[in-house]
Amino acid sequence: MEFKLEAHRIVSISLGKIYNSRVQRGGIKLHKNLLVSLVLRSARQVYLSDPCPGLYLAGPAGIPAPPPQQLGEPAAGPPAGWGEPPPPAAGASWADTEPQPEGSAVSEAPRVGDAVPEATVTGVGVVPQGGAADAAKAAWSRVEGPRQAAAGEAEGPAGGWGVFPLGSRASRRPCGCPLGGEDSSGTPAATPRAACCCAPRPAEDEPPAPPAVCPRKRGAAGVGGGPTSFPAPGSTPLKKPRRNLEQPPSGGEDDDTEEMDTGNVANLISIFGSSFSGLLRKSPGGGREEEEGEKSGPEAAEPGQICCDKPVLRDMNPWSTAIVAF
Amino acid sequence: MAGAGGGGCPAGGNDFQWCFSQVKGAIDEDVAEADIISTVEFNYSGDLLATGDKGGRVVIFQREQENKSRPHSRGEYNVYSTFQSHEPEFDYLKSLEIEEKINKIRWLPQQNAAHFLLSTNDKTIKLWKISERDKRAEGYNLKDEDGRLRDPFRITALRVPILKPMDLMVEASPRRIFANAHTYHINSISVNSDHETYLSADDLRINLWHLEITDRSFNIVDIKPANMEELTEVITAAEFHPHQCNVFVYSSSKGTIRLCDMRSSALCDRHSKFFEEPEDPSSRSFFSEIISSISDVKFSHSGRYMMSRDYLSVKVWDLNMESRPLETHQVHEYLRSKLCSLYENDCIFDKFECCWNGSDSAIMTGSYNNFFRMFDRDTRRDVTLEASRESSKPRASLKPRKVCTGGKRKKDEISVDSLDFNKKILHTAWHPADSVIAVAATNNLYIFQGKIN
Repeated sequence: MEFKLEAHRIVSISLGKIYNSRVQRGGIKLHKNLLVSLVLRSARQVYLSDPCPGLYLAGPAGIPAPPPQQLGEPAAGPPAGWGEPPPPAAGASWADTEPQPEGSAVSEAPRVGDAVPEATVTGVGVVPQGGAADAAKAAWSRVEGPRQAAAGEAEGPAGGWGVFPLGSRASRRPCGCPLGGEDSSGTPAATPRAACCCAPRPAEDEPPAPPAVCPRKRGAAGVGGGPTSFPAPGSTPLKKPRRNLEQPPSGGEDDDTEEMDTGNVANLISIFGSSFSGLLRKSPGGGREEEEGEKSGPEAAEPGQICCDKPVLRDMNPWSTAIVAF
Repeated sequence: MAGAGGGGCPAGGNDFQWCFSQVKGAIDEDVAEADIISTVEFNYSGDLLATGDKGGRVVIFQREQENKSRPHSRGEYNVYSTFQSHEPEFDYLKSLEIEEKINKIRWLPQQNAAHFLLSTNDKTIKLWKISERDKRAEGYNLKDEDGRLRDPFRITALRVPILKPMDLMVEASPRRIFANAHTYHINSISVNSDHETYLSADDLRINLWHLEITDRSFNIVDIKPANMEELTEVITAAEFHPHQCNVFVYSSSKGTIRLCDMRSSALCDRHSKFFEEPEDPSSRSFFSEIISSISDVKFSHSGRYMMSRDYLSVKVWDLNMESRPLETHQVHEYLRSKLCSLYENDCIFDKFECCWNGSDSAIMTGSYNNFFRMFDRDTRRDVTLEASRESSKPRASLKPRKVCTGGKRKKDEISVDSLDFNKKILHTAWHPADSVIAVAATNNLYIFQGKIN
């Protein structure tokens, strides 16, 4: 629980920094904002993966599902940047028992420095071997008893923290993968490389768990993504095929389930800014149209996406606090 | 007395002491933002010491010749020249203000009586010529002594002007302005060993310039992704190899260093060597990425090693070993548990620099509370010293400081929670040959000299 609070606090602080950077003298500092966005992403992962159902809307399925499960992109939904908001309309997908391999370990509060890989491997290792059906079964059963199982397990990859300790490069980048990896239409916070931290190192370190997570998240198309989850370590080119792989499945669910990509500074500002329309328009040189000064992410800033997020977000008190702060 | 290559045992050996020599800058507590020193650099001989500040000014100090009558007192640094290098500008196209803060100063090797340096702000690099004038011509034909033009028809005889001595005047004039080549903020400049070219690096690109040509530069590194949303790392520092004019390195926000050879291709996007230390998974936190970002990279004078500074440590690398650093020195490990607070107050984004001594036997870097740290690579000793007005009596030895991390605080120790994070030493410089160091503490410049007792 305290992780959630901590993560929430960090998210608020980070958003404040990004917002303030718009009016800083000398223009937006790309380096600092990049770092802040990385922290933001990590914090959001932790925040959304910390199982405190009380703070979340009850899922439409009526299951106070720990967020990570929802983060598992239902079926074809493209994984969003860092996990979708707690149950959007696609909450019913939870009942679909989509393969959520990481779901098992996810319920565990994310802990830094856990011997996550081992536990995750144990818990999830089964999954990759099986087919989608097996995975679904395994995931489902694990989902059932996450809390009980969680006790013995270190936190899983979808917890955000889980992936970090895996290998050097993998741990370095916040893994958007288990939480949804990359947006298809949206804007992955960073390259595919960053979004799928499992990919670079899993072969070296904890091969089964994280890579398994990633393809599974893709749902139906995920199995196909399986093989690609064991790329040569650190090979950048593999990221791009992965990304393309996600494009097809994205289908119609993107807009609804896609989470805002806070790795994208302009995107974030525009998303939050659009909730307070006056703010964004007041600063002519600000967030939206920084052509070179910062990353641009027009695609993800779709009205549909924002509309979806807003009610969800506003229902969550901690979130609205952060947003209202702006 | 010149130390043996800046030697003795600089990091607090038995007989070596750092002593206060001078402090430059205002004393009052109220620090004007424009006076904050943003870069410090000795020239190749160490006789000149340049500082740049946030107000866009450059102040150059010159070491006085040693006084023969007092052989034990070493040369002091006195103001030699002050000039406004950069002014605030406004980019109307992007509605962005361009800060006048001097990010870096780099000296050119001296080739004649004048001195040349490069100074840069976020967008524009300028080559300044600093020259002395101690004579002036008198007896012009076309103008009289006041400078007024004479009526040519009144001139009946011609004379040759003669040079007369005058009070020494040091003039700084901008000789080249290298502008409009950087979209992002310039973080580094580095003069090549060929003395003809130099590089400038911003967040995403590195450009190669010729000192004589201002209207174009070659782009040699470009890490801007086709889709900016895919950005994961930025360039944080770059430097040319001290002897091999085709080699340079650049560091990234991900804690990696790439060495590039300009002979291999025109665009050095592919590195020749890649230096990265695997991250320790057990120390992962929200802020791992931030603290692994490299803030400075410096080649040793020998060219065999290089040093990188990240938030908590400084690492020495052997250019022949890419897998891990040769040495890792913890600067202020006690801050690791405070990262969240440091993130809140933005201190975690501070960019500390580091420097080698003349013989590459010691390295120095700054910390908070006006502390700076020195590591002796030979003896493996390290010392924490403080730049403060209190310990600023002439030739007073600096007392080693210690930070207490918990438990009982011994006398003279300072606890982590008492550290003043507003007093940060980001910029330090070491004389290329002697045991003289310059430490910038906010708006004050401290000069310390080393003595062997």
